Amino acid sequence: MSHIEEIPCIEVLSSVVFIIEGVVEDSRNPQAIESHLNSCADCRAEVEHEQAMHTLLQDVLRRSCDEKAPEDLHRSIHEQLLRQAQGGAGVTEVVTQYSMTEISIEIDEFGNVEHREIQIEQTHVQHFIDDEE
Amino acid sequence: MASKDLVLESAADRNSRFERDALVFMDQLYAAALRYTKNPEDARDLVQDTYLKAFNSFHQFEEGTNLRAWLYRVLTTTFINSYRKDQRRPQLAAGELEDWQVAEAQSHTSDLGKSAEMEALENLPDSDIKRALQEIPEEFRIAVYLADVEGFSYKEIADIVGVPGGTVMSRLHRGRKLLREKLADYAKELGYSTEAKDAKKSGKGEKS
Repeated sequence: MSHIEEIPCIEVLSSVVFIIEGVVEDSRNPQAIESHLNSCADCRAEVEHEQAMHTLLQDVLRRSCDEKAPEDLHRSIHEQLLRQAQGGAGVTEVVTQYSMTEISIEIDEFGNVEHREIQIEQTHVQHFIDDEE
Repeated sequence: MASKDLVLESAADRNSRFERDALVFMDQLYAAALRYTKNPEDARDLVQDTYLKAFNSFHQFEEGTNLRAWLYRVLTTTFINSYRKDQRRPQLAAGELEDWQVAEAQSHTSDLGKSAEMEALENLPDSDIKRALQEIPEEFRIAVYLADVEGFSYKEIADIVGVPGGTVMSRLHRGRKLLREKLADYAKELGYSTEAKDAKKSGKGEKS
C-alpha cells in the first residue's frame, strides 16, 4: 500500500466543488481527500452541508429560471428557417460524383474468355456557407 | 449503401431533421439567453441568431453526439462574440485559476448559521434569485447556469464555453459562492435571520 499524504481541513474544503460535481478523482489530491474525510467528522459535516446547500440552490435556480420562449418567437424562427431553406441563401451544396468502370477481357491459351469488371464510385459533397443575411 | 445514404441526405431531409430535433430546445435556450443578455429583446435576437447559425452549420454536427450541448455551444459562442456589452473585457481574468484554491479560506461554520442560510434561501422569491444571478460577473453566471440549471457536466461546460476544465471548476466554485453571498444579503434585506453571515464571520479561522 502506498503512503497517503496528510492534508489540512482547508485543503479538503477548497476542493469541495470537485466533491459536489462528483469528480473527486479529477481533483489535485483525491486519495488524501478521501482519507481525510474518513477521519475528520467536522469536514464530513461541512461537505454534507455544502452538498445540501448545492441541492437547494439548484432547486431554487431551476424553479426561477423556467421562462418559455414567446409564441411569436417560435413562429418567426420557424419562418426564418423556411426562408433560409428555400431562398438558396445559407448553405450551398456542391456534389462531385466520380465514377469509373474498368472492364478487362482476357483470353487464355485454350481460348477461354475471362471477364473482369471493376467499378469505382466516389461521391463528395462540399458545403459552402453564405454568411451574409 | 449506408454511407451513401448518409452522404446524400438531401438538404430537405436535413432541414426537417433540424426542425424536428433542434427546435424543441427553444424554451430552454431562451431562458438561458435571458440570463446571458439580461433583457428580453436581446434574448430573442440571440436565440434567433443561434438557430440561424446552427441551421447553417448543421451539416457539421455529428449525428449521435449531444445536440443540446452543441446548441448551447452555438448560443454561448454567439453571445460571447456578439452580445457582450463590453467586448474588450478579457474572458479570463488574470489569476483566476491560481488564487481560488488557496485564497478561499473557508472554515467550518456553526450549525446555527447553516440552518439559517438554508431557510433564507428556501424563502426568497424567484425575482431575487434571478436578480442575484444577474449581478454576478458574466463568466461565473454562465458556468453556474450551465451546471446548476441545465445540468451539464464540467467537461461539457468546458467544451461549450471554450475554456479548460480547471477554469470551469474555479468559476463554479466562485460563482456559487458569490451567488450565495448575494442571496444572503437579500434575505437580510427581507428581514431573515442574519446569523448565517455573522456566524460565518466569527467562525472564520476557528479551525484550520
